[in-house]
Amino acid sequence: MNGYSWDSSVVLSSLPQLMSGLAVTLQLTAICAVIGLVGGFVVCLMAMSRILPLRWIAVFFIELFRCTPALVQIIWIFYCVPIFFGIFIDPFTMAVLALGMNITAFNAEAYRAAIQAIPSSHYDACTALGLSSLKRTVYVILPQAVLLAIPVLLTNTIGLLQQTALVAIVAIGDLMYQGKSLATQTYRPIEIYSTVAFIYFIFSLPLSQVVGFCEKRLRARLT
Amino acid sequence: MDLATSLSFLYDYRLALLTGLGNTLYFTACGLAIGLPLGFIVSIIRHTGHPVLKVIATTYVEIFRGTPVLVQLFWFFFCLPALLGVDLGNVTSTITTLALYMGAISSESCRASLKAIGAEQRDACIALGLPARVSVPYVILPQTIMRAVPTLLSNCVTLFKESALVSAVGMADLMYQGQMIADSTARPIEILTATALIYFVIAFSATRIVTYYEQGFLKRLKL
Repeated sequence: MNGYSWDSSVVLSSLPQLMSGLAVTLQLTAICAVIGLVGGFVVCLMAMSRILPLRWIAVFFIELFRCTPALVQIIWIFYCVPIFFGIFIDPFTMAVLALGMNITAFNAEAYRAAIQAIPSSHYDACTALGLSSLKRTVYVILPQAVLLAIPVLLTNTIGLLQQTALVAIVAIGDLMYQGKSLATQTYRPIEIYSTVAFIYFIFSLPLSQVVGFCEKRLRARLT
Repeated sequence: MDLATSLSFLYDYRLALLTGLGNTLYFTACGLAIGLPLGFIVSIIRHTGHPVLKVIATTYVEIFRGTPVLVQLFWFFFCLPALLGVDLGNVTSTITTLALYMGAISSESCRASLKAIGAEQRDACIALGLPARVSVPYVILPQTIMRAVPTLLSNCVTLFKESALVSAVGMADLMYQGQMIADSTARPIEILTATALIYFVIAFSATRIVTYYEQGFLKRLKL
């Protein structure tokens, strides 16, 4: 340990500030998760639609956000949106915008993979039963797609929780940002960063357990 | 501002951006070179190993998957030198973090494909009296790698994108250079867009390769 002694009082005294950061992190995660769940499905439907321009827009959107680092997206949106559009939105909304679009693109892919995993015999059965395409989508495709997509959607949400740490770089007071400023104020980086890591971890771990549980249930159901 | 001035402005900074890109690729390559074998070893340990080793391996994977990469980078930058009492140097700690992160995520991909290998293969190995040092490299490894390659390749793309985070700890990668130029010239739009474009072109072509490989692989398995 080389003489470095762990100082628990630093952790205790910095907890209130870390908790206020955590509130911001969780708020961001929750709002973006909802945007991603709904938006992802809409974008996925667009990407699979027969109307070509709609499909092009959706595929371009998905590829753009999946193929650039989230950090680049956040910084780009923070620097360039105000210059391009001449508007100044508050930083939190900007962060929601950036992270929300990012998770939408990833969720759209998750939904798409799930829809493609539905065997073509189901489509044939729908045709044989004379179901309209709307009925087919709502009663046959959608329930199965959502069910199949749940593990990936949850994994994406865990990813989102971790991605929110990036907003610290553009000075939004989330958990990571508070940790960073506390570490510089107190000169106790080990205590602070370990606590920050631990807080993120205890929020990710239960979610990843849920993912494992869902996967098991799904496998049991499908075989 | 017209396109010609923008382009000539970008041309002036091409060397800085290329140096950044070189560093990004270097960090990614080092992370991959260490992380991929590490991931495979960890997945083998988690699959068939001593219970104590299993717990250690699982804890390692869960910690690195459950905390943001940004937090990991900060931890390795500020805490590890203080704990160990040795200065690792910026490059070493960056590469260590990326490699450990890559090891954690790729061990999950390997584990999924290890599970997909039928139990009869293992039984056959036992029936043939193959010791682990023969069965692992000749029976398990080739099949695991073949199945895991699509996921591992997309993990590589993920690592490439995550490597943008090292800019936050002051490593001169592409993102860092882009931000530096943007800040010093006050022309963020050209530079940040160019940076995003460079990331996009590389990651997009990489994902195309993944898709191509995946399709060939699916054909081969006759799925």
